[in-house]
Amino acid sequence: MTVVGAALVPGMPHLLAAEPAPSWKLLADAARQAGQDLRAAGPDAFVVLSTQWFTVLGHQFQVDPNPRGGHVDENWYAYDYGTLDYDLRVDVELAEAWACQAEDMGFQARRTRYDGFPVDTGTVVAGKLVDPDRSRPIALVSCNLYAAAGDLGRIAEAAALAAGKLGRRVAFVAVSGLSSGLIQRWIEPAEDRFEDAGHDAWNRRVLDLLAAGRTDEVLALREEYAREAQADSQLRALAFLAGSGACDRPARVLEYGPVWGTGAAVVTWLDG
Amino acid sequence: MSRVFHITVGDRRRPPQTAPVPTGAPAAELGPGGGDERGPGIVAGFLAPHPPHLIYAENPPQNQPRSRGGWELLRWAYQEARRRLRERHRPDVIVVHAPHWITMVGHHVNCVPNPRGLSVEPIFPHLLRYRYDFRTDVELATAIADCAADAGLVTRKLTNPGVRVDYATIGALHLLNPDWDIPVVSLSANNNPYFYSDADLEQMERLGAATRRAVEETGRRAVLAGSNSLSHLHWDREPDLPEDMAAEHPYDDHQYRWDMDLLTLVRAGRTRELRAFLPRHIEATAAEVKAGSLSWLLSALGWPEIPGDVLGYGTIIGTGNAVIEWDPANPARAHPAPPGWAPGPDDADRPRPMTGARS
Repeated sequence: MTVVGAALVPGMPHLLAAEPAPSWKLLADAARQAGQDLRAAGPDAFVVLSTQWFTVLGHQFQVDPNPRGGHVDENWYAYDYGTLDYDLRVDVELAEAWACQAEDMGFQARRTRYDGFPVDTGTVVAGKLVDPDRSRPIALVSCNLYAAAGDLGRIAEAAALAAGKLGRRVAFVAVSGLSSGLIQRWIEPAEDRFEDAGHDAWNRRVLDLLAAGRTDEVLALREEYAREAQADSQLRALAFLAGSGACDRPARVLEYGPVWGTGAAVVTWLDG
Repeated sequence: MSRVFHITVGDRRRPPQTAPVPTGAPAAELGPGGGDERGPGIVAGFLAPHPPHLIYAENPPQNQPRSRGGWELLRWAYQEARRRLRERHRPDVIVVHAPHWITMVGHHVNCVPNPRGLSVEPIFPHLLRYRYDFRTDVELATAIADCAADAGLVTRKLTNPGVRVDYATIGALHLLNPDWDIPVVSLSANNNPYFYSDADLEQMERLGAATRRAVEETGRRAVLAGSNSLSHLHWDREPDLPEDMAAEHPYDDHQYRWDMDLLTLVRAGRTRELRAFLPRHIEATAAEVKAGSLSWLLSALGWPEIPGDVLGYGTIIGTGNAVIEWDPANPARAHPAPPGWAPGPDDADRPRPMTGARS
């Protein structure tokens, strides 16, 4: 089996806070657990999409073998978790094969390899939680906000096809929140909560459907969910994961809670 | 306001002289060099679009990628803006509001004295890898943040030099002043990138009023730059050669006509109507002014009922972009709309929005 599993994890840097809110800590622990579970399934590499690397022209593939440096988040720079170091290990062979496969399927695939390229907060945060020892290389694609959501599913399909041709076993990780209505003031961690009960209700509805294995229903609700709960990038992350073929089973919701008022969840799709 | 700001007199600074010229005041006298003799205050405002294609096309030494040019009409418009900035307005400071320094909580003001570094743009890394190095007017920056907080806005002063400066800030400032020899204040746009949010335009107007108050109280002579494009639906793929002008045209006729109606209001000086028109334009064209830079700019100018001077209009990957100057003391000649004209094209023939653009 080429695709061994998939996970949805949050990318807010608050999960790395030295003094986290209770929900931030629970989510971080769950993301670590998801990483452990995915690694136990034996992937050779992680295939990653982060909604915080959003683009608008074509689909960008990271082909720098070792992006590394420091990243200061433009929103959260005043907090300990706003300054992040990263040192990524990219599976360039897989990324190149993936880009070629995407081109064969009619997409514009743009290779990204530039000194000083700013890796996004979500990719860095997820990496530190899901695979802190960098035991597996990763292949990264951007989240094109101007492309149809279904296109991201096809991009994931391209990754699975490319991995299969290379004989790689891969696990898919989408880094995304759920509802994205932030609390519009500076808060202490202990004050974090959902200020919009409607957003909370929508998030729970979506997670319940995923846990019941009704992924297609969630995809059908995606646009309504986006309108009603300001879903992160219109929940393109789920379209991506579904395209991998890994979401054809009930999901396991490991954790759900607020991060500065937004909805965040850790969800996995694995055998057993 | 009780705070008193002391100005460091430098080669481009002058101490407060007289009360600021109210926006909409009669034409100022021009000095021998063509510059007006007004004292401190906001002397002009520019709508200054920032697509990185424009810097890329200019091939400045600060930017790594090389091009064969392109988008000349917009770049020529910026040439004229630069001339007016240098010869007529002669500001102490340029204050820019930029939609790609997206802050999800609050309105942020860059208070780093000397931002410098390499800005590799994550969306357009093939077009913009720009080495920036500029001076911030920290006193004014601090005053704007304080005045905004006094006005009830959630604010933050950026003092961490590690934050990469975004391409909208760099784009507008480079195109207005490629020598970077005028101090800067950079403001963020309070938005949420993860859903297609509209900024709270009322807050942007309050930020504009706060900016004006801070400029006046610090005695600065300021030019403002709202770094927004107009209509903003665009392609989701790019020609092999980015500057292939055969591929450049409005995204669709619908967007073009809405942009022309906005510019008709600007050229006629019907600013109050423009204020009411902006939300309609945003809704019809996903206009980037939803990020609030134009509302901030015109609010700071006091929504003057004077014509804006449209120096140029052009499309970039299908989006509408205009370089416009509002000079309250030397307003442009008015171009009245035809009798019976009303803004807002008939939407009966509106084409379907591009696939996936907002879903």
